[in-house]
Amino acid sequence: MWTRDVGGLRLTFHLAGINNQNFLMRDDETGSFWQQISGIAVSGPLKGSQLTLVHSDELNFATWKAEEPEGTVLKDTPQYASQYEAKDWDVRMKRAPVVIQFPEHGMKSRDLILGIRAFGASRAFLYDQVVKEKLVKDHVGEEPVLLVVGADDQSVRAFRGRIPGVDGSPDFYRLTANKPGSLLMDAATGSEWNFQGCVVSGKLQGVCLEPVAMLKDYWFDWRNYNPKTTIWGKT
Amino acid sequence: MSFSQRTRRNILLVCVAVSLVCVAYPIYVIRPFRAQGPRELAVALLVMRYRLLVTVISALTAIGVVVMYWRSQAKVWRKILATLGGALVCVLAALARVNVYESLMFHPVDHPAFAAVNEVKVDKDDKMLVVKVGGIARAYPIRTMGYHHIVNDFVGGTAIVATY
Repeated sequence: MWTRDVGGLRLTFHLAGINNQNFLMRDDETGSFWQQISGIAVSGPLKGSQLTLVHSDELNFATWKAEEPEGTVLKDTPQYASQYEAKDWDVRMKRAPVVIQFPEHGMKSRDLILGIRAFGASRAFLYDQVVKEKLVKDHVGEEPVLLVVGADDQSVRAFRGRIPGVDGSPDFYRLTANKPGSLLMDAATGSEWNFQGCVVSGKLQGVCLEPVAMLKDYWFDWRNYNPKTTIWGKT
Repeated sequence: MSFSQRTRRNILLVCVAVSLVCVAYPIYVIRPFRAQGPRELAVALLVMRYRLLVTVISALTAIGVVVMYWRSQAKVWRKILATLGGALVCVLAALARVNVYESLMFHPVDHPAFAAVNEVKVDKDDKMLVVKVGGIARAYPIRTMGYHHIVNDFVGGTAIVATY
């Protein structure tokens, strides 16, 4: 997700092509071409410009609906709805061929990863492994991060592993008891945290962890744009 | 101004060649399941940026040459061939305006419409791209985004583009 305002212009984007299986966009206003994954203009009058990232998550509908009962959802465009993808299309796409490959550290091209580029570093986390662990405590660069799996065992969010107002990077634990709304507990204050990274019970009520932008992507695409990426559990 | 028959033919051939390159080269380079090298991609994008103007100039030039043919004493078959060449250049000029990715492959969402969470027909385990901007929450079903790829939107006072 990107903002559309750049240098005083409001841009309208269209699909314009593909670059090693990551698509290119073109804006109507200047005719510049932009790489979808990086938000950087690669050709045209705005070449080199960078779109501003808008934080987004990939969540299961039921989870999001419970969090945002007043939210709105993009409707289908009726004349094209029959051509929409099946529910598991990202899994089915794992069989599709790739045109660039980075067979490093045992990674397969279409391994689904969760990529974080923050704090001066980039790191990839195998999605299936994260879902299995339910809570991953790791570092990106020098900063502690938490990858938290929702109660739906599908949605994942990432947060900076520091509690505002608390020194250091406290440890977090996954609550095993089925307590609606509470997912984690921190070792420093004993507060309970929900899937949105906010305290729901305890002395830090109302405090929230800082969300960290994370991209669910195929390994080859992530690696192509993050050549120095490390891999959780491997590097 | 008049040109010799040979010159007219060569100009027409150049117009056909230039217009063909303008249309075909980007399609050849920028296609799915083909690796794109950085240099060829840069050239293809450059061609796309200027081909609207180039193909118009080419078409106007070709039309001028065709008119010259018909005004000349050239044999009928040459005039017909020239006309076909001119027509091809004009067709290529029209094709240069076609965005194959949106016209043929993935149609855009020109006017995105939204529904409240309780009104939309989405399965509970459907995956969504979600944002919250300025206190406004919005979701984009991945099944929909996997087809359209881009939605230009305005959420919570901010113009955003959802991409997948």
